[in-house]
Amino acid sequence: MEFLHVEGFRKQFAGTEVLKDINFDLPKGKILAIIGPSGGGKTTLLRCLNFLETPDEGKVFLDGELLSDAKATYSQKERREKQLKFGLVFQSFHLFPHLTAIENILLAPDLLAKDRVKEQFKERKKAAKGPARKALKKEEKQALKELSAENKRHAEELLGQVGLSEKRDSYPSQLSGGQQQRVAIARALALSPEVLCFDEPTSALDPELTGEVLKVIRALKGRTLIIVTHEMAFAREVADYVLFMTDGVIEERGTPEEVFLHPQKEKTKAFLKHMEEYHDE
Amino acid sequence: MTAFWNVTLALLEGFGSTCLIFAATLVFAIPLGLLVTFGSMSRFRPLKWLMRTIVWVVRGTPLMLQLIAIFYGPALLFGIDGLDRVPAVIVAFVINYACYFSEIYRAGIEGVPRGQAEAGQVLGLKKSQVFFHITLIQLIKRIVPPMSNEIITLVKDTSLARIISVTEIILVAQEYTRQGLIWPLFYTGVFYLLFVGVLTLLFRYTEKKLEYIKI
Repeated sequence: MEFLHVEGFRKQFAGTEVLKDINFDLPKGKILAIIGPSGGGKTTLLRCLNFLETPDEGKVFLDGELLSDAKATYSQKERREKQLKFGLVFQSFHLFPHLTAIENILLAPDLLAKDRVKEQFKERKKAAKGPARKALKKEEKQALKELSAENKRHAEELLGQVGLSEKRDSYPSQLSGGQQQRVAIARALALSPEVLCFDEPTSALDPELTGEVLKVIRALKGRTLIIVTHEMAFAREVADYVLFMTDGVIEERGTPEEVFLHPQKEKTKAFLKHMEEYHDE
Repeated sequence: MTAFWNVTLALLEGFGSTCLIFAATLVFAIPLGLLVTFGSMSRFRPLKWLMRTIVWVVRGTPLMLQLIAIFYGPALLFGIDGLDRVPAVIVAFVINYACYFSEIYRAGIEGVPRGQAEAGQVLGLKKSQVFFHITLIQLIKRIVPPMSNEIITLVKDTSLARIISVTEIILVAQEYTRQGLIWPLFYTGVFYLLFVGVLTLLFRYTEKKLEYIKI
């Protein structure tokens, strides 16, 4: 069993099977590209992994341990903890329009830090009385301050990593699509997910802006990534493994060379041919 | 000239009640409306239908009838003492406006793209954190124009309080009319205009403050 192991994912929407028994493995630090025609279930698969949809059946194992089972019920808190193992970058960014670039990145880490510190001090504060309680309160405040300074430093570093340090205080509306997507990537990275998923990260961008986003993703090599994409050349270049998904099943899988250069299945061949023609136009 | 001052002072006194009804309605109806919204958007069907029925009844009948029902209803139906006049007016207005507000909120919430909440969810935020840190401000931005309209209507709706003999400004003016003095009634318009003028400036300021959010 590899670092990420997905077993028997099934999902129906109103009687239509969108995922039919999806199984795959991904070693730590490797990049998986998922290609295939629209409506083939790629996005649903990512949404299931990120707990935005619950599969009807299926299990996810992470690092050898069962992370989630569709048949089990989890409390909100458990679900949120599991959710944090995964990150998701959306096709249309979904940056928060009322927050600047840095605030977009900081919102979740700061709120989570606040919750965590509160949780840590809760029991002790309950037991303490009088001056001891006051001292604890001060200690709590200090701990929070340190954490948020740390978050800020990390967020600034991430902004630099995606090449947007000077856009720190810009609102999403003041950024180009490519810049917005780069902020969204930094926002997802800020929580250090074990597996980062990209749902067609360049599909909403003008062609001249896709390059800058792909460059940022390329620089993430070494992390465990799942990238759903229509950029065939990019998938071929960065991916360690490729899945071709259509009609809710994994039709073909292998290394980029196997899938792109020596496809075995007719459906894969037809899809790749179609993409090539589309690209030539 | 003294007549003018006397009338002005009398009208101002009535206008005090107008302002009280206005302010109390806003203070209670704005949060209550949010609860009604959550109810009417609930996944728990019975609650959803109950809330939607209440909204239908409240929006489907004249506010004047509701005032009368709340003030006289308890005595007529159960033979018990109801509320005093001013509290009765406030209760009727709060319920009425909460229902109107709730529909504005609902439209506002449904107008915030689902991706916003999903983005918050994948970042591990709680539902309440998503609402207060992501949805709320975008919701406010969307609802300022329709809320402005509704709040301006409320200023003038307060004159309905005279139906159950609360001495708001119009009722004061009507007393003069009964004595043969017509102009005070028209003079009340100046008070309303000034009040609405100030509100309009306030709304414009709020819209300006929220201009940085582009949605």
